[in-house]
Amino acid sequence: MTLLYLLLGTVFGFILSRSGAADYDFIQGMFLFTEFQLYGILAVAVAVTAPGIWLIKRRGRTLLGRPVTIELKALHRGNIVGGVLFGVGWSLTGMCPGPILVNIGEGKLYAIAAFAGALTGAGLLGSFYSVVQRPFGLPPLKVGTGEG
Amino acid sequence: MLILHDLTPLHWALAGLGIAGVTLTLLFIGNRRLGISTGLEDICSLVLPAPYFRRSAVTSGRPWRLPLLAGLVLGGALSAVLAGGWEPIWALGLFDRAIGLGPAGKMAWMFVGGLFIGFGTRLAGGCTSGHGIFGLANFELPSLLSTLSFMAAGIATTQIIYRVVFPIVGAP
Repeated sequence: MTLLYLLLGTVFGFILSRSGAADYDFIQGMFLFTEFQLYGILAVAVAVTAPGIWLIKRRGRTLLGRPVTIELKALHRGNIVGGVLFGVGWSLTGMCPGPILVNIGEGKLYAIAAFAGALTGAGLLGSFYSVVQRPFGLPPLKVGTGEG
Repeated sequence: MLILHDLTPLHWALAGLGIAGVTLTLLFIGNRRLGISTGLEDICSLVLPAPYFRRSAVTSGRPWRLPLLAGLVLGGALSAVLAGGWEPIWALGLFDRAIGLGPAGKMAWMFVGGLFIGFGTRLAGGCTSGHGIFGLANFELPSLLSTLSFMAAGIATTQIIYRVVFPIVGAP
Protein backbone atom coordinates (compact mmCIF):
# COMPACT_ATOMS: atom_id res chain seq x y z
CA MET A 1 0.00 0.00 0.00
CA THR A 2 2.87 2.38 0.69
CA LEU A 3 3.77 2.17 -2.99
CA LEU A 4 0.18 2.98 -4.00
CA TYR A 5 0.22 6.16 -1.88
CA LEU A 6 3.63 7.12 -3.26
CA LEU A 7 2.30 6.58 -6.80
CA LEU A 8 -0.91 8.53 -6.18
CA GLY A 9 1.15 11.37 -4.71
CA THR A 10 3.44 11.34 -7.74
CA VAL A 11 0.53 11.52 -10.18
CA PHE A 12 -1.09 14.26 -8.10
CA GLY A 13 2.20 16.18 -7.95
CA PHE A 14 2.78 15.86 -11.69
CA ILE A 15 -0.72 17.16 -12.46
CA LEU A 16 -0.31 20.07 -10.03
CA SER A 17 3.02 20.92 -11.63
CA ARG A 18 1.80 20.82 -15.23
CA SER A 19 -1.58 22.45 -14.75
CA GLY A 20 -0.48 25.71 -13.16
CA ALA A 21 -1.74 24.82 -9.68
CA ALA A 22 1.86 24.96 -8.43
CA ASP A 23 2.81 28.00 -10.50
CA TYR A 24 3.07 31.41 -8.82
CA ASP A 25 1.77 33.36 -11.84
CA PHE A 26 -1.24 31.10 -12.33
CA ILE A 27 -2.19 31.44 -8.65
CA GLN A 28 -1.87 35.24 -8.75
CA GLY A 29 -3.80 35.24 -12.04
CA MET A 30 -6.62 33.37 -10.31
CA PHE A 31 -6.73 35.89 -7.45
CA LEU A 32 -6.47 38.81 -9.93
CA PHE A 33 -9.32 37.38 -12.06
CA THR A 34 -7.06 37.42 -15.13
CA GLU A 35 -6.70 33.64 -15.40
CA PHE A 36 -9.53 31.10 -15.48
CA GLN A 37 -7.32 27.97 -15.30
CA LEU A 38 -7.41 27.33 -11.53
CA TYR A 39 -11.14 27.99 -11.22
CA GLY A 40 -11.72 25.47 -14.01
CA ILE A 41 -9.50 22.87 -12.32
CA LEU A 42 -11.20 23.23 -8.92
CA ALA A 43 -14.69 23.22 -10.42
CA VAL A 44 -14.09 20.07 -12.49
CA ALA A 45 -12.29 18.31 -9.61
CA VAL A 46 -15.24 18.97 -7.26
CA ALA A 47 -17.91 18.27 -9.90
CA VAL A 48 -16.40 14.86 -10.69
CA THR A 49 -15.41 13.94 -7.13
CA ALA A 50 -18.91 14.63 -5.74
CA PRO A 51 -20.81 11.92 -7.67
CA GLY A 52 -17.79 9.63 -7.21
CA ILE A 53 -17.95 9.92 -3.42
CA TRP A 54 -21.72 9.45 -3.58
CA LEU A 55 -21.31 6.23 -5.55
CA ILE A 56 -18.58 4.89 -3.27
CA LYS A 57 -20.69 5.70 -0.18
CA ARG A 58 -23.71 4.02 -1.78
CA ARG A 59 -21.62 0.91 -2.42
CA GLY A 60 -20.46 1.23 1.17
CA ARG A 61 -17.33 -0.84 0.67
CA THR A 62 -13.88 -0.19 -0.68
CA LEU A 63 -12.47 -2.16 -3.60
CA LEU A 64 -11.14 -4.72 -1.11
CA GLY A 65 -14.47 -4.94 0.71
CA ARG A 66 -13.73 -2.89 3.82
CA PRO A 67 -16.53 -0.58 5.05
CA VAL A 68 -16.05 2.97 3.79
CA THR A 69 -15.53 5.40 6.65
CA ILE A 70 -15.35 9.13 6.00
CA GLU A 71 -14.55 11.24 9.03
CA LEU A 72 -16.44 14.50 8.71
CA LYS A 73 -14.80 17.79 9.56
CA ALA A 74 -15.77 19.64 12.71
CA LEU A 75 -17.65 22.94 12.49
CA HIS A 76 -16.01 25.75 14.47
CA ARG A 77 -14.89 29.38 14.22
CA GLY A 78 -11.46 28.16 13.17
CA ASN A 79 -12.92 27.12 9.79
CA ILE A 80 -13.32 30.80 8.92
CA VAL A 81 -10.44 32.43 10.83
CA GLY A 82 -7.99 29.70 9.80
CA GLY A 83 -9.29 29.88 6.25
CA VAL A 84 -8.62 33.63 6.13
CA LEU A 85 -5.07 33.17 7.47
CA PHE A 86 -4.42 30.38 4.98
CA GLY A 87 -5.76 32.52 2.12
CA VAL A 88 -3.26 35.26 3.00
CA GLY A 89 -0.46 32.69 3.02
CA TRP A 90 -1.61 31.16 -0.28
CA SER A 91 -1.52 34.61 -1.89
CA LEU A 92 1.87 35.58 -0.40
CA THR A 93 3.62 32.38 -1.49
CA GLY A 94 1.52 31.37 -4.49
CA MET A 95 1.40 27.90 -2.96
CA CYS A 96 -1.05 25.86 -0.95
CA PRO A 97 0.27 22.86 1.05
CA GLY A 98 0.40 20.33 -1.82
CA PRO A 99 2.11 22.69 -4.27
CA ILE A 100 4.73 23.65 -1.63
CA LEU A 101 6.01 20.07 -1.92
CA VAL A 102 5.60 20.03 -5.72
CA ASN A 103 7.62 23.24 -5.96
CA ILE A 104 10.38 21.74 -3.82
CA GLY A 105 10.48 18.79 -6.22
CA GLU A 106 10.61 21.12 -9.22
CA GLY A 107 13.73 22.71 -7.76
CA LYS A 108 12.25 26.02 -6.61
CA LEU A 109 14.55 26.81 -3.70
CA TYR A 110 12.31 29.41 -2.03
CA ALA A 111 9.65 26.71 -1.58
CA ILE A 112 11.90 25.18 1.10
CA ALA A 113 11.42 28.38 3.14
CA ALA A 114 7.65 28.18 2.62
CA PHE A 115 7.75 24.55 3.79
CA ALA A 116 9.77 25.47 6.89
CA GLY A 117 7.26 28.23 7.62
CA ALA A 118 4.28 25.90 7.15
CA LEU A 119 5.76 23.29 9.49
CA THR A 120 6.50 26.00 12.06
CA GLY A 121 2.94 27.31 11.74
CA ALA A 122 1.41 23.86 12.14
CA GLY A 123 3.79 23.20 15.04
CA LEU A 124 2.70 26.41 16.75
CA LEU A 125 -0.99 25.58 16.44
CA GLY A 126 -0.48 22.09 17.81
CA SER A 127 1.76 23.25 20.65
CA PHE A 128 -0.68 25.97 21.73
CA TYR A 129 -3.90 24.06 21.00
CA SER A 130 -5.18 24.45 24.54
CA VAL A 131 -4.75 28.23 24.24
CA VAL A 132 -6.66 28.67 20.96
CA GLN A 133 -9.18 25.93 21.69
CA ARG A 134 -11.71 28.02 23.65
CA PRO A 135 -11.70 31.28 21.69
CA PHE A 136 -12.18 29.40 18.42
CA GLY A 137 -14.57 26.78 19.77
CA LEU A 138 -12.30 23.96 18.61
CA PRO A 139 -13.14 20.32 19.34
CA PRO A 140 -11.39 18.43 22.17
CA LEU A 141 -7.70 17.76 21.66
CA LYS A 142 -8.40 14.11 20.92
CA VAL A 143 -10.45 15.09 17.86
CA GLY A 144 -8.40 18.01 16.58
CA THR A 145 -9.60 20.56 14.03
CA GLY A 146 -10.29 17.99 11.33
CA GLU A 147 -8.31 15.72 9.10
CA GLY A 148 -7.56 17.12 5.68
CA MET B 1 13.37 29.15 -16.04
CA LEU B 2 10.03 28.31 -14.53
CA ILE B 3 8.64 24.93 -15.48
CA LEU B 4 5.48 26.17 -17.16
CA HIS B 5 7.14 28.99 -19.07
CA ASP B 6 8.30 26.54 -21.72
CA LEU B 7 5.17 24.41 -21.76
CA THR B 8 1.51 24.64 -22.56
CA PRO B 9 -0.31 23.83 -19.30
CA LEU B 10 -2.64 20.86 -19.13
CA HIS B 11 -6.20 21.76 -20.02
CA TRP B 12 -8.09 22.66 -16.83
CA ALA B 13 -10.76 20.03 -17.48
CA LEU B 14 -8.13 17.31 -17.87
CA ALA B 15 -6.27 18.46 -14.73
CA GLY B 16 -9.50 18.59 -12.73
CA LEU B 17 -10.43 15.13 -13.94
CA GLY B 18 -7.01 13.79 -12.96
CA ILE B 19 -7.23 15.28 -9.47
CA ALA B 20 -10.71 13.79 -9.05
CA GLY B 21 -9.26 10.43 -10.15
CA VAL B 22 -6.55 10.59 -7.49
CA THR B 23 -9.06 11.65 -4.81
CA LEU B 24 -11.50 8.86 -5.64
CA THR B 25 -8.79 6.19 -5.91
CA LEU B 26 -7.54 7.22 -2.49
CA LEU B 27 -11.03 6.71 -1.07
CA PHE B 28 -12.05 3.63 -3.05
CA ILE B 29 -8.86 1.64 -2.54
CA GLY B 30 -7.30 3.15 0.57
CA ASN B 31 -10.45 4.26 2.45
CA ARG B 32 -8.73 7.64 2.95
CA ARG B 33 -10.06 11.15 2.61
CA LEU B 34 -7.72 13.39 0.65
CA GLY B 35 -6.00 15.99 2.79
CA ILE B 36 -2.51 17.37 2.46
CA SER B 37 -2.28 19.85 5.35
CA THR B 38 -2.74 17.14 7.99
CA GLY B 39 0.53 15.82 6.57
CA LEU B 40 2.18 18.89 8.10
CA GLU B 41 1.05 17.59 11.50
CA ASP B 42 2.36 14.13 10.63
CA ILE B 43 5.79 15.61 9.99
CA CYS B 44 5.61 17.74 13.17
CA SER B 45 4.68 14.60 15.11
CA LEU B 46 8.03 13.07 14.18
CA VAL B 47 9.87 15.65 16.30
CA LEU B 48 7.44 17.65 18.50
CA PRO B 49 6.43 16.23 21.89
CA ALA B 50 3.19 18.28 22.36
CA PRO B 51 0.15 16.11 23.22
CA TYR B 52 -1.58 17.42 20.07
CA PHE B 53 0.96 15.55 17.96
CA ARG B 54 0.75 12.39 20.04
CA ARG B 55 -2.92 11.84 19.10
CA SER B 56 -3.60 8.61 17.28
CA ALA B 57 -5.48 10.58 14.57
CA VAL B 58 -2.12 12.09 13.66
CA THR B 59 0.27 9.23 14.22
CA SER B 60 -1.98 6.60 12.61
CA GLY B 61 -2.08 8.66 9.40
CA ARG B 62 1.68 8.69 8.96
CA PRO B 63 1.99 5.37 7.08
CA TRP B 64 -0.16 6.64 4.21
CA ARG B 65 0.19 10.42 4.33
CA LEU B 66 3.97 10.56 4.43
CA PRO B 67 4.35 8.45 1.24
CA LEU B 68 1.65 10.60 -0.42
CA LEU B 69 3.59 13.76 0.49
CA ALA B 70 6.85 12.23 -0.73
CA GLY B 71 5.05 11.45 -3.99
CA LEU B 72 4.17 15.13 -4.43
CA VAL B 73 7.87 16.03 -4.29
CA LEU B 74 8.65 13.20 -6.71
CA GLY B 75 5.89 14.28 -9.10
CA GLY B 76 7.28 17.82 -9.17
CA ALA B 77 10.80 16.54 -9.81
CA LEU B 78 9.57 14.22 -12.57
CA SER B 79 7.71 17.10 -14.18
CA ALA B 80 10.86 19.23 -14.18
CA VAL B 81 13.07 16.43 -15.54
CA LEU B 82 10.65 15.68 -18.38
CA ALA B 83 10.26 19.40 -19.10
CA GLY B 84 13.88 19.60 -20.16
CA GLY B 85 15.98 18.95 -17.09
CA TRP B 86 15.87 19.57 -13.35
CA GLU B 87 17.73 22.61 -12.10
CA PRO B 88 17.63 24.83 -9.02
CA ILE B 89 15.20 27.71 -9.63
CA TRP B 90 15.15 31.16 -8.04
CA ALA B 91 12.87 32.78 -10.66
CA LEU B 92 9.38 33.72 -9.47
CA GLY B 93 7.57 35.29 -12.44
CA LEU B 94 5.36 38.21 -11.52
CA PHE B 95 6.99 38.53 -8.08
CA ASP B 96 10.37 39.26 -9.71
CA ARG B 97 8.90 41.86 -12.05
CA ALA B 98 6.78 43.71 -9.49
CA ILE B 99 8.43 43.20 -6.10
CA GLY B 100 11.93 42.12 -7.06
CA LEU B 101 13.43 40.86 -3.79
CA GLY B 102 16.72 38.94 -3.93
CA PRO B 103 17.15 35.35 -2.70
CA ALA B 104 17.37 36.29 1.01
CA GLY B 105 14.32 38.53 0.85
CA LYS B 106 12.41 35.90 -1.09
CA MET B 107 13.22 33.25 1.50
CA ALA B 108 12.02 35.55 4.32
CA TRP B 109 8.84 36.40 2.39
CA MET B 110 8.14 32.72 1.75
CA PHE B 111 8.80 31.73 5.36
CA VAL B 112 6.29 34.30 6.61
CA GLY B 113 3.74 33.16 4.01
CA GLY B 114 4.39 29.58 5.09
CA LEU B 115 3.61 30.47 8.72
CA PHE B 116 0.19 31.72 7.63
CA ILE B 117 -0.36 28.53 5.61
CA GLY B 118 0.67 26.12 8.37
CA PHE B 119 -1.16 27.85 11.22
CA GLY B 120 -4.18 28.77 9.09
CA THR B 121 -4.80 25.38 7.48
CA ARG B 122 -4.50 23.55 10.78
CA LEU B 123 -6.77 26.03 12.54
CA ALA B 124 -9.27 25.67 9.69
CA GLY B 125 -8.98 21.88 9.72
CA GLY B 126 -7.97 21.59 6.08
CA CYS B 127 -6.65 23.26 2.96
CA THR B 128 -7.47 23.38 -0.74
CA SER B 129 -7.50 19.60 -0.94
CA GLY B 130 -9.25 18.54 2.28
CA HIS B 131 -11.78 21.39 2.37
CA GLY B 132 -11.76 22.72 -1.19
CA ILE B 133 -11.93 19.43 -3.08
CA PHE B 134 -12.97 16.58 -0.78
CA GLY B 135 -15.05 18.58 1.70
CA LEU B 136 -16.98 20.52 -0.95
CA ALA B 137 -17.53 17.35 -2.99
CA ASN B 138 -18.87 15.68 0.17
CA PHE B 139 -21.16 18.67 0.89
CA GLU B 140 -19.63 19.52 4.29
CA LEU B 141 -20.56 22.93 5.73
CA PRO B 142 -17.19 23.55 7.47
CA SER B 143 -15.50 23.04 4.11
CA LEU B 144 -17.79 25.52 2.36
CA LEU B 145 -17.11 28.16 5.03
CA SER B 146 -13.38 27.52 4.94
CA THR B 147 -13.14 27.52 1.14
CA LEU B 148 -15.08 30.79 0.84
CA SER B 149 -12.79 32.26 3.53
CA PHE B 150 -9.48 31.30 1.94
CA MET B 151 -10.58 32.25 -1.57
CA ALA B 152 -11.80 35.65 -0.35
CA ALA B 153 -8.63 36.27 1.67
CA GLY B 154 -6.41 35.17 -1.23
CA ILE B 155 -8.23 37.45 -3.64
CA ALA B 156 -8.07 40.41 -1.23
CA THR B 157 -4.36 39.91 -0.47
CA THR B 158 -3.27 39.55 -4.09
CA GLN B 159 -5.43 42.49 -5.19
CA ILE B 160 -3.78 44.64 -2.49
CA ILE B 161 -0.27 43.45 -3.40
CA TYR B 162 -0.49 43.72 -7.18
CA ARG B 163 -3.04 46.47 -7.71
CA VAL B 164 -2.20 48.80 -4.81
CA VAL B 165 1.24 48.26 -3.23
CA PHE B 166 3.22 46.97 -6.23
CA PRO B 167 0.93 47.87 -9.14
CA ILE B 168 1.43 45.88 -12.32
CA VAL B 169 0.60 47.01 -15.83
CA GLY B 170 -1.71 44.56 -17.55
CA ALA B 171 -2.19 40.91 -16.72
CA PRO B 172 0.54 38.55 -15.48
